[in-house]
Amino acid sequence: MKAQEAKSPLLAKSIVSRIFSIREMGTIIPLIILYIVIAFVNPNFFAPANLIDVVRATSYTFILAAPLTCLMLTGNRDLSVGATTALGGVACAWGLTSLHWGIIPSILLGLFAGLVVGLIKCFIVLNLKLPPFIITLGLQYIINGFVLVTTLGNPITGFPKAFTNLGQGRVFGVFYTIIFALVLGIAIHLMLRYTRLGREIYATGGNKETARLAGINTTKVLMIVHVAASVFAALVGILYASRFNAAQSNAGAGTEMTIMAAIIIGGTSFAGGSGTVIGSLFGCLLLASINNGLVLMHVSSYWQNLVFGAILVISLLLDKIRTDKSGGGL
Amino acid sequence: MKENVLEMRNVTKRFPGVTALKDVCIDLRKGEILGICGENGAGKSTLMKVLSGSYTAKEYEGEILIDDKPVSFTNVYDAQKCGIEMVYQELNMVLDLSVAENLFVGNLPLRNGVVNYKQLYSDAEKLLERIGFDVNPRTIVRLLNSGQMQMLSIMRACAKNPKILIMDEPTSALTDQEVETLMKLLNELRDSGVSVIYISHKMQEIYRICDRITVIRDGQTISTNDIDKVQEQTLIEEMVGRKVENMYPKENHATKEEVLRVEHLSVPHPNIHGKYIVEDIGFTLHKGEILGIGGLVGAGRSESLAAIFGQYVKGVKKEVWVGGKKVKITKPLDAIRHGIGFITEERKLTGYIGVLSIRENMSIASLKKLSGLILMKRRKEREETDKQFRQLRVKAPSSETKLFQLSGGNQQKVILGKWLINEPEILFIDEPTKGIDVGTKADFYQIMNELTSRGVSIVMVSSDMPELIAMSDRCIVISEGRITAELEGEEITETNVMRAAIQGKK
Repeated sequence: MKAQEAKSPLLAKSIVSRIFSIREMGTIIPLIILYIVIAFVNPNFFAPANLIDVVRATSYTFILAAPLTCLMLTGNRDLSVGATTALGGVACAWGLTSLHWGIIPSILLGLFAGLVVGLIKCFIVLNLKLPPFIITLGLQYIINGFVLVTTLGNPITGFPKAFTNLGQGRVFGVFYTIIFALVLGIAIHLMLRYTRLGREIYATGGNKETARLAGINTTKVLMIVHVAASVFAALVGILYASRFNAAQSNAGAGTEMTIMAAIIIGGTSFAGGSGTVIGSLFGCLLLASINNGLVLMHVSSYWQNLVFGAILVISLLLDKIRTDKSGGGL
Repeated sequence: MKENVLEMRNVTKRFPGVTALKDVCIDLRKGEILGICGENGAGKSTLMKVLSGSYTAKEYEGEILIDDKPVSFTNVYDAQKCGIEMVYQELNMVLDLSVAENLFVGNLPLRNGVVNYKQLYSDAEKLLERIGFDVNPRTIVRLLNSGQMQMLSIMRACAKNPKILIMDEPTSALTDQEVETLMKLLNELRDSGVSVIYISHKMQEIYRICDRITVIRDGQTISTNDIDKVQEQTLIEEMVGRKVENMYPKENHATKEEVLRVEHLSVPHPNIHGKYIVEDIGFTLHKGEILGIGGLVGAGRSESLAAIFGQYVKGVKKEVWVGGKKVKITKPLDAIRHGIGFITEERKLTGYIGVLSIRENMSIASLKKLSGLILMKRRKEREETDKQFRQLRVKAPSSETKLFQLSGGNQQKVILGKWLINEPEILFIDEPTKGIDVGTKADFYQIMNELTSRGVSIVMVSSDMPELIAMSDRCIVISEGRITAELEGEEITETNVMRAAIQGKK
């Protein structure tokens, strides 16, 4: 009986196996190894200015990864978030430059574009019950095509200073986006841990039919996480536009895969039902550290994908070892 | 007397902890149809798996002789080479190929190394016509209904010209008209010298088509008789004649107060489009009572519970009264609000969430009670779940243990605890002790007694005959989509339940 085995108290386990049993280890261990290597090759990585750069890059991916973690906790995937990022930025920029709207209405326009994408996605996936993976892939192309057609591939620039300040401004030397990402991360972490909605998300991801039979409105839960992922994707696009003073039609292109990989490295199960936002934060930090660290080590940027891919595979292996040890998987 | 084509001598098959077959002897003559009947779990399917080569010769004891020569199979193909074909209950068709291709898959007519489609379709047409089975051989199998697919898989087995054909409940997915076609096909097979083993619960069919009948009970052959020399009553007694061990501490807490009434319940068949698995049935449940629902596997008992609870909605017709008031249940949450809980048969699929802890599993059906507007009430949650954890005597290190680490019995207790936090007045329990060890079983019956003593009413579907007999205050039996018996007290006997369960359409 597995239950009997597990009865032996945690104390009996060796320190090593206790460390391995922490869910986020799949990302913390590679992170530590990476930092040790970097420290030997180029200690400049740890210069305050560079560290801020790394954290700043992390903040953008994490603003998208945190709500996307909730989506993945329900056992779903969304391949359209990268394209939605571009759409959000372009919609907001259009409001600012062509419509001459104020900053807040323009931002709301960008978010509204994300909301529309989210609702369309929900309608197709939840009402028509078509497979999310394919549908969001299709949406990715549609949105991407829409953005290219409307912008003709040209970046939209010339924003008011107050707008670019969002992505470039700091308070006490810390970028606004970093503070925002931190607050968002804490909020979503608390939501998952302490609220009814959080419990419903885990239950829906763990076993949708069981959750539904227990009276949980699984359709509502899925709708919330789908819409949230799209809206926050659009928000990231707006922040990118602000930071670079340009809305690019290819902003965020292809990021959905790396961000989902970062979330999985952070310990969220691909099948849904288990994982944490803290893990995703480490996953995003790892992603940014690789990109930054490899450049500092004068390694060709072509190596970034290779390293990141290898870490993804290794972290899944670690995860498997961990679940096998704890006496069973899914 | 005709010669034997098949003889099984003293076949014994053991699983860890259970002997599924014990010295089973069967003989099958050339050109006859031998019926095999027995209760759910009597060992029929295991026996056929031995015969069709699903278990290798090393995994069982005993001998199989074909045409008086001993054979031993290491896989299904060995058995097929000896002329044994099995038609499985589950359908295994290549859905996107045509009827003709499926019929002749494995021996398609070739010309110069490519499939000769002209010949294939004409062969198929001839075969279909001969049987009188009306489908176009060019139709893609996916478009057929499950009855047609069942017929097709039977014909596919026939197309291989077997010596011995095994059919396991072939008519369970067929419409009346298709049953007629099947009977015609069987007669034709018999005339052409094929021997058929026909496993069925349906006495009517057995009396109509079989030459002899063998009864199996608890993994042993009880009797083999010529069909015209044996009474239906005798067969039923032979199927159920078993001593009941007294592990059932049944207490009587039933009252006459009505808590639930269901009328005009019709549930669409899960596999056959346009057919109902149960049609226009109804029952009442009294306070503190355990109402047993008996019947054969596949009679529509589980589907009925699911339909009342609101799990299945599409095509369901029903009228439900709870506590004398008519209620509308269109989703599980409606049922929960009316004080109903539902422990399903498939624990893993619809009962628990493996990756979550005991505490989290127990609280998901009562999140409303255990949370405020937004936040969970952590302390209340802990109190409520710990209370169930203790009272149900769940064996686990703590309530933080994940469900996939528990044994089946403890998982079942957690699922029960999940509903009890809601303080339900009515509990639907589908196969309460399926796959649960004996010790936990007894625990579970004790808990059911405690619940009824507190005024909870239980509807229990069970295929475990002794359990059904011992625990039910009242028992209804469903067969062929309708209620064929309502038994109370002393009337609830294995013979009465079995007789009603195998009653066909009159």
